[in-house]
Amino acid sequence: MTVAFYILAAIAVLGAVMAIALRNVVHAVFSVLLFFSALAGLFILLLAEFIAAVQILVYIGSVGILMLFAIMLTTKVTGDPTHNLLSRGWAWGALVAGALLLAFLVPLITQTQSETISKLSNFNPSVKDLGMILMDPYFASMGVIALLLTAGLIAAVVAASSASEE
Amino acid sequence: MEITLNHYLILSAVLFTIGLIGALMRRHIIIMLICLEIMLNAANLNLIAFWHYGPNPIMLHGPLFTLFTIAIAATEAALGLALVLAIYRHFKTVDLEQVQDLKE
Repeated sequence: MTVAFYILAAIAVLGAVMAIALRNVVHAVFSVLLFFSALAGLFILLLAEFIAAVQILVYIGSVGILMLFAIMLTTKVTGDPTHNLLSRGWAWGALVAGALLLAFLVPLITQTQSETISKLSNFNPSVKDLGMILMDPYFASMGVIALLLTAGLIAAVVAASSASEE
Repeated sequence: MEITLNHYLILSAVLFTIGLIGALMRRHIIIMLICLEIMLNAANLNLIAFWHYGPNPIMLHGPLFTLFTIAIAATEAALGLALVLAIYRHFKTVDLEQVQDLKE
């Protein structure tokens, strides 16, 4: 359990760092897919198997493929080596984000009393229970999510097609 | 050593910061969308970890809210990449530094 957590955490951090550091955009997308699969493994470690399956289906299955399609429809697949890949004033952004982590998030987390024992070991969460509470108290939220997905689909079609008709 | 809630919170904070640094540093528009996905996934890991170590895991609120977040993130990715295509058609670039005006 402990070893699995450290291996998956290392893979997740490595995938995320490679995704923001690699020059070639396609390589970046594949390393973010590595990050997504490591996170699915962490979800399995936390006994959320259904979320892990959804993570693999939605992120690796559709979001990654969508990103690859967007790359192939826009720019050249191999990154231009002469092109500057950092934005103006990037050092300030990196500095502020790193300071936020080291000065704010890490001290706050480490000073908190840590919860060590999970109460999850004496019951087995199932997909059926998730479906039941999705139907009973959270039906309105699911309707809103369905509406949002439909609106997002229509908006994506409109945004991607309107420019070509001009 | 036993893995505690703090391990997951530290990992999630580190992943969120990596995503934030990438979103502030890179100028490629698809890399920025990737960084947004990294930050959303770090938040999802937080939700699941709090549910796992929380006082009342039988209510399944963690997986439920993570499911909603994943749906919203999928919508965001689809819409964002459609906007990438529209911006590329108009400006003929994916460099965000060169996308500077809103009118024609």
